[in-house]
Amino acid sequence: MIKIENLKHYYKDIDGNEVKALDGVSLSIAEGEFVAVIGANGSGKSTLARHLNGLLVPTEGKVTVNDMDTMDEDRTWDIRQSVGMVFQNPDNQIVAAIVEEDVAFGMENIGVPSAEIRPRVDKALAAVGMSDYAKHAPHLLSGGQKQRVAIAGILGLEPKCIVLDEPTAMLDPQGRQEIVATVKSLNKEKNITIVYITHYMEEALQADRVVVMGAGKIQFMGTPKEVFCRVEELEKLGLEAPIAAKVASELRKCGAKLPKDIITEEELAKALCQ
Amino acid sequence: MSIELKDVSYTYSKGTPFERQALNNVSVSIDKGEIVAIIGHTGSGKSTFVQHLNALLKPDKGMIIIDEVDATGKTSDAKAARHRVGMVFQYPEHQLFAETVEEDIAFGPRNKGFSEDEVAVQVKEAMRFVGLDYDTYAKRSPFQLSGGQMRRVAVAGVVALNPDYLVLDEPSAGLDPASRLRVFREILELHKTRKIAIVIVTHSMDEAAEYANRLLVINKGQLLYDGKPEEIFKEHSAELRQVGLDMPQVYNLGEKLKANGLNLKGDIMNTKALVKAICQAKGWKNAK
Repeated sequence: MIKIENLKHYYKDIDGNEVKALDGVSLSIAEGEFVAVIGANGSGKSTLARHLNGLLVPTEGKVTVNDMDTMDEDRTWDIRQSVGMVFQNPDNQIVAAIVEEDVAFGMENIGVPSAEIRPRVDKALAAVGMSDYAKHAPHLLSGGQKQRVAIAGILGLEPKCIVLDEPTAMLDPQGRQEIVATVKSLNKEKNITIVYITHYMEEALQADRVVVMGAGKIQFMGTPKEVFCRVEELEKLGLEAPIAAKVASELRKCGAKLPKDIITEEELAKALCQ
Repeated sequence: MSIELKDVSYTYSKGTPFERQALNNVSVSIDKGEIVAIIGHTGSGKSTFVQHLNALLKPDKGMIIIDEVDATGKTSDAKAARHRVGMVFQYPEHQLFAETVEEDIAFGPRNKGFSEDEVAVQVKEAMRFVGLDYDTYAKRSPFQLSGGQMRRVAVAGVVALNPDYLVLDEPSAGLDPASRLRVFREILELHKTRKIAIVIVTHSMDEAAEYANRLLVINKGQLLYDGKPEEIFKEHSAELRQVGLDMPQVYNLGEKLKANGLNLKGDIMNTKALVKAICQAKGWKNAK
């Protein structure tokens, strides 16, 4: 679905120094995959995300979406329709005064025939569990609900892939759970490819694969199990392991003999309570 | 020394179809020396509440008393009282504007009428507090720093005002785990050395449990609970979940282990306590 080959993105800061935001990233994302990207502030996560639909283009290297090169300006709109983006702040992403109009906005923009818009809006709102709010004013919704409306707006464009850049950073616990559950169901039930950037390790646990960024490079990647049992390496990169892995690691320091690959609460409970 | 809100109510867009009551009869007193965490779901009124702490918003009803002065007044005493409350907004790095880190931090104290010598001292102090080396960063542009560093510059700008009360609206939102830890370590240090009150709005139950000695839970514009974090989390878990909040992760994990038959003792509100309780239950030697 998405192929990134030796991607470099350099820019000059205001003093004219070259900043290497991405310094040789190679990554293939398969259709239907759920990939989480974690990394410290400034590690290049968001820069990487913005390359996936051509908001940024490579200084060096190549990014292709379904074999379309993001450098090819003729394909930019096709690429953006294939790869939708959801950002951190839901308030910045909502444009209309009524939920269903907001969801329709993107479709109108790309020229979806009006007869088709109605059913697509209904479908998109149903997919994020917001059908009951179609006629509501977005500014009166909770953060989690607004963010789901933003996702519905993207869904209306029928993308193959959705990139979410810290979609839960501004949400309360319930809002966060809503978003994670919504994203998971889009991935499992509609086979939409998901690239999910987050600072919350518990959210990354839900992915098929976790990519760990640091200093503009991929430091390591693998299944959540492979990544999150490397507790100390994660800490060195300014990250942390999910709580169960952290507690297991502390317990080992106290002499406990626990399996190396504990990352979820269930696994920790099982190991401790046999 | 305290900030007192007495029966404060506040309505947004009064007299329009969008009228919405954000605060409803809130009374609370925050003393110098406390660390208070404020939790509540999005739209509960948390941010409206904290913007009353320095009378940035003026209540429709009720009073704001800072150090025994009516802070909504126009007197110079009222103004001075408001200035004793430092406010760090959400994503404060978006408010940086000066050409150098030093100039940005100096803006507040200079505006407040500090002498140039005082400004210089406060800027250096504030930078030391947030862990930015003066010689390295003072002359640099704030815009070429990392997100975490920019946030620390913004916090330093408020610290340089030498407030008696420091209010921070989601200081760790959008930061990576290491930066979150650093920001909180600095806030605690500031609390310890300057004995000021800290008020933190957060969406992280773990931060509230770990750092605060008092917890305010806001729901629908009203104060739902006010007390020690461990007590509120322990006694009101069902109600908190109902209003869109949760327990700290380690509390949930502790409960899960208990449900699986592990005999854990004590209130478990942070990782250290959990590790200790597990070691005790299993008869392992706790290294720390």
